[in-house]
Amino acid sequence: MQEETTTQDLKDRLALIESMIAEGRRKTESWGWTFVLWGLAYYAAIAWSAWGHSAWAWPVTMIAAAILTIILVSARASHRPETTLGRAIGSIWIALGISMFLLFMPLGITGRLTDAHVFISVASAMLGMANATSAMALRWKAQFVSAVVWWAAAIAACFGTEEQAGIAFLIAIFFCQIVFGIYGMIREGRAKAQRGAAHA
Amino acid sequence: MPDLPELNPVIHGKLRLALLSLLATVEEAEFTWLRNKTGSTDGNLGAQLAKLEEAGYVQVEKKFVQRKPLTLYRMTDTGRTALTEYVQALKQLLGAAIDA
Repeated sequence: MQEETTTQDLKDRLALIESMIAEGRRKTESWGWTFVLWGLAYYAAIAWSAWGHSAWAWPVTMIAAAILTIILVSARASHRPETTLGRAIGSIWIALGISMFLLFMPLGITGRLTDAHVFISVASAMLGMANATSAMALRWKAQFVSAVVWWAAAIAACFGTEEQAGIAFLIAIFFCQIVFGIYGMIREGRAKAQRGAAHA
Repeated sequence: MPDLPELNPVIHGKLRLALLSLLATVEEAEFTWLRNKTGSTDGNLGAQLAKLEEAGYVQVEKKFVQRKPLTLYRMTDTGRTALTEYVQALKQLLGAAIDA
């Protein structure tokens, strides 16, 4: 048999084994719920800071949401093999979370985060960047639309009044977190049903 | 020069090799999942899985879930050993080809 098998054929077979192992490990990723969770966390923080006038509203809500996300992701990841793409996308969001925390927390503590326009513009632009990066890696047009909505909110916040900037932020959260998250969950559910199942 | 290993003819078929590689990553898999991952037709997939079952490399379980038939495939220990030996043989042959 070896005489008929060329070196290229042997390499192709090794590549086939590698690609099938990678394919087998690529399960339907379920991340839609995180968008909804963080959307609700943003709304909770906005409501608490607007009506409660507490400086702790944003840090407490964001830390609570981060802890809840870590617990839920860990519970799901324990029986789910990791893929390179999944790890890359996860890294984008983790890096975004750390960047936002390290930027906004000191600004809030030092009392320099007084201009709502700046906060909304910077936060929206950063969220737009993360969504766009993820959308390009996944080749997912719907997520790129989300990125565009965040960028539009960032620009609107620069030019509008404080009230208009707030409304733009609320609208962006609704479409890019709640609606996009629910859409993602529906899509993940459909994909799982269509593909059949494999149990790790 | 050491003797070169023979490649297992049961695993050597590309679709059968793909199926064993896929099954090596999961505990069990449905027929539809294997079909979608390999892009194979139902007839060809069924025939190749039957050959793997005949060789004792995969185990089949048929059951009904909510009145719908469900066929589950899982790799046996013999199948896992055979795939490991096949990969080792491939690497040995490639190494020999490079040295030649």
